[in-house]
Amino acid sequence: MASDGVLLDARGITKVFGGVRAVDDVSLRVQTGTLHALIGPNGAGKTTLFNTLSGYARPERGTVVFRGTDVTRAPNWQRVRMGMGRTFQTPSVFPELTVDENVRLGVRAYAREAFRLRTPRGEAAAAVDRRVDELLGFVGITGSRERSLAVLSAGTQRLCEIAMSLSTDPALVLLDEPMAGLAESETDRIITVIRDLRERLGLTVLFVEHNMRVVLSLADRITVLDRGKLLAEGTPDDIAANPAVRDAYLGEGVLDHV
Amino acid sequence: MIEHLAPQLVNGLVLGAFYAIVALGLSLIMNLTGTINMAHGSFMTLAGYLAYTMVLRGTSFWFALLAAPLIAVLVGVLVERTLVRPLYAREPFYSLLMTFGLSLMAEEVYRLIWGSNGVPFSPPAALDGTANLGFMVFPAFRIFIAAVLVVAIVALALFLTRTRFGLRLRAAVQDTEMIAALGTNTQLLYAVNFGLGIFLAGIAGVLAAGMLGLSPTSGNALLMPAFVTVIIGGMGSLFGSIVGGVLIGLAISLTTLFVPAASEVSMYVLMALVLMIRPRGLFGEEGLFG
Amino acid sequence: MSARGTTIASMVVLVVLAAAPFLSPLVHLDVSIVSEVLVTAIAAMSVNLLLGYTGLPAFGNAAYFGLGAYGAALSAKYFHVSFLLAILIGTAAALLGGLLLGPFLLRRRGIYFGLLSIAFGQVFYFIAYRYTDVTGGEDGMNFPRPPLGLPFANVTVNETAFYYVALAAFVLALLAFRAIVASPFGRTLVAIRQNEVRVRYLGLNSDRFIFVALLISATMAGVGGALFALLINFAYPLELDWHQSGYFVLMMILGGAGTVWGPLLGSAIFVIGKDIISTITPLWQIFLGALFVACVLGFPRGIVGTFSAVLRRRAHVADVDDANAAFDPHAPVEVGRGV
Repeated sequence: MASDGVLLDARGITKVFGGVRAVDDVSLRVQTGTLHALIGPNGAGKTTLFNTLSGYARPERGTVVFRGTDVTRAPNWQRVRMGMGRTFQTPSVFPELTVDENVRLGVRAYAREAFRLRTPRGEAAAAVDRRVDELLGFVGITGSRERSLAVLSAGTQRLCEIAMSLSTDPALVLLDEPMAGLAESETDRIITVIRDLRERLGLTVLFVEHNMRVVLSLADRITVLDRGKLLAEGTPDDIAANPAVRDAYLGEGVLDHV
Repeated sequence: MIEHLAPQLVNGLVLGAFYAIVALGLSLIMNLTGTINMAHGSFMTLAGYLAYTMVLRGTSFWFALLAAPLIAVLVGVLVERTLVRPLYAREPFYSLLMTFGLSLMAEEVYRLIWGSNGVPFSPPAALDGTANLGFMVFPAFRIFIAAVLVVAIVALALFLTRTRFGLRLRAAVQDTEMIAALGTNTQLLYAVNFGLGIFLAGIAGVLAAGMLGLSPTSGNALLMPAFVTVIIGGMGSLFGSIVGGVLIGLAISLTTLFVPAASEVSMYVLMALVLMIRPRGLFGEEGLFG
Repeated sequence: MSARGTTIASMVVLVVLAAAPFLSPLVHLDVSIVSEVLVTAIAAMSVNLLLGYTGLPAFGNAAYFGLGAYGAALSAKYFHVSFLLAILIGTAAALLGGLLLGPFLLRRRGIYFGLLSIAFGQVFYFIAYRYTDVTGGEDGMNFPRPPLGLPFANVTVNETAFYYVALAAFVLALLAFRAIVASPFGRTLVAIRQNEVRVRYLGLNSDRFIFVALLISATMAGVGGALFALLINFAYPLELDWHQSGYFVLMMILGGAGTVWGPLLGSAIFVIGKDIISTITPLWQIFLGALFVACVLGFPRGIVGTFSAVLRRRAHVADVDDANAAFDPHAPVEVGRGV
């Protein structure tokens, strides 16, 4: 796919909850190979938009086109097969299983082995093992592989979740507040991993983030939502200079040290 | 056959009102706590037997109609506080299993006290006759039942939409944690809600005893149509329970008229049809996966 | 429990089961009661796959059990088929029932799945109840037990022979069950119980997995039901009733949800307990109800689950990494309330 192509194209997305327009006529284009940030104050509709993009919820109006195909009505698992991965605000993992098993389930799913009644042996099994090693190595949690998720820190759970999202070989990864609730040291690790997603794996990333400093230093493109509506879209410099954005964030102090 | 149609339709509406009110009680409890109350029918039977005993001892029917459901509510709240409450933090099917056990025990206890066979419970003399509706003549007791059930449903609607407590209850169904954070006593809410559900079941129980008969299992016979009512109306929707009840009542009474053997099966056919067209039921919430 | 310990314990149980027709008279137990334990254990196992492993409140499995029973009974009575063919026909009827109801049940999760299971399961009850001409209605229908039907051994099936057929069916079901839960497919079912949303975001259509689990469960319940009808030479509507579904769930929880041997233990306690208590007092149902309440409040992990949890704690194994692990109701997974 060409590096200047549009990977994800959402047009006029509207999602209503009990009469409230959580997302109101929002359009969003994610270019292939970019780190695209989605920001906005609390209640701006970021997660709701994420949910409509990834098939967790169906929008009342609007279309979602992914890799040139209209996926607005496609179920979430089908979008994953088309190359979309996602994480959630609270890491969505299998808490009773080990790190290894968590990632292995994803690798097996991708290898179309999840439905089998017989555990593959020989070369097929070795290929699965290699892929699991590779993914755990990429996010750097090989040391925790035999521990069950429930006993691990939020940061390790998040890294495991990212590895699981990568196990299905996506082209686009959606990260919903990947740094929420993490310690400082863990945050740095996540930032490195997000950079590596593009630099080393050549993936496109769309992420929701609150920390404006992180967003401005990490993202190539930024989309700003406010109260369900599209407020601004542009490069980090555009956004930092945009008076409407400064107004929306006024009082939150996040733009003060920019 | 056509001359039977009008009375049968009205009959269906009365029956539907029964299903609706039982389903409303079930829905109230299910929506707030996730508990499928399998003992709901047992509480109906309890109220029926209590009213029967009261009238036998010389109390007036009118007093029993109110007192019997209230005693059932007392028992219900006691059960909720001691046995159901410890299960709220667990997966909902445990409370289903527990209330199922309670219904088994209750059935046997009723058998011990009131005997295995049905007992006669007739409406008071004042309601014994027939009423002329203009286009047809209909038993007065059934008209009375329909009136009481409609009043109960309207009262419930007013309670939920017009009182502070009712509004809190509806808010709590949306988000239990938020209500707890706002400082409303969640435990009181649960108890009152459970009691409310049992009260509706109790009223239905006393009236059903007079119309459909009274035996240790008579309440349970209404439980299954009530489940189907909840499903057709849409799980999570109280309004749906009312519409669902009326639909099933009509479906059952009409098939009783034309194909008596299929009278029970008809409501399942209706349920399957509704779910085929609308998987969430008529007024239900959207599923997580769309 | 260590793998070797489990194997040894399993062998002991199997040896005792194989010798049961000779041992049961010693404890004044009719061999047909032990047959009933095995037969209902197969049905309890079918609930285990859905509820214990996949996390779906399967409160309608009596429908498949009853379809198995009526399938066997009707074909034996009206078409005079052999014993084995009757089992096959009963099982096929149950599978057909699963194919019919599956698409409806699939649409919901959590308690709503339970509600739909109860409601849809009841359809067959009313059909059996109402079609008196064919099924005998409320009174049920009796039929003579047909000959076995093997070409080289078309013998009549006496109680001991029946027991060994039931044992063979039970062992087959158990082996199949173990293979299924240990397979990638079974692991995915466990994953669905823990977090279905993530399963879908791994690109898996969880509906498809649940549908197949449902069909396997229906088939298994059908085998149990067909054998049950052939055991008592009788089929009656209450086999299809939601009460019966509840009993299967109780057996499974009693023995230990999500464990391989739990259903057998639960079935043994239920069937033998009923047999003993019914002869002492007519109030069996009160004991049964109390058993439900005590089980839910007192030991929700069941006997096998509690036992193996204690052993595991002794062995200081921190991470539960075992397809047979008892599922913990307090674990941070929710089956889901209204998905």
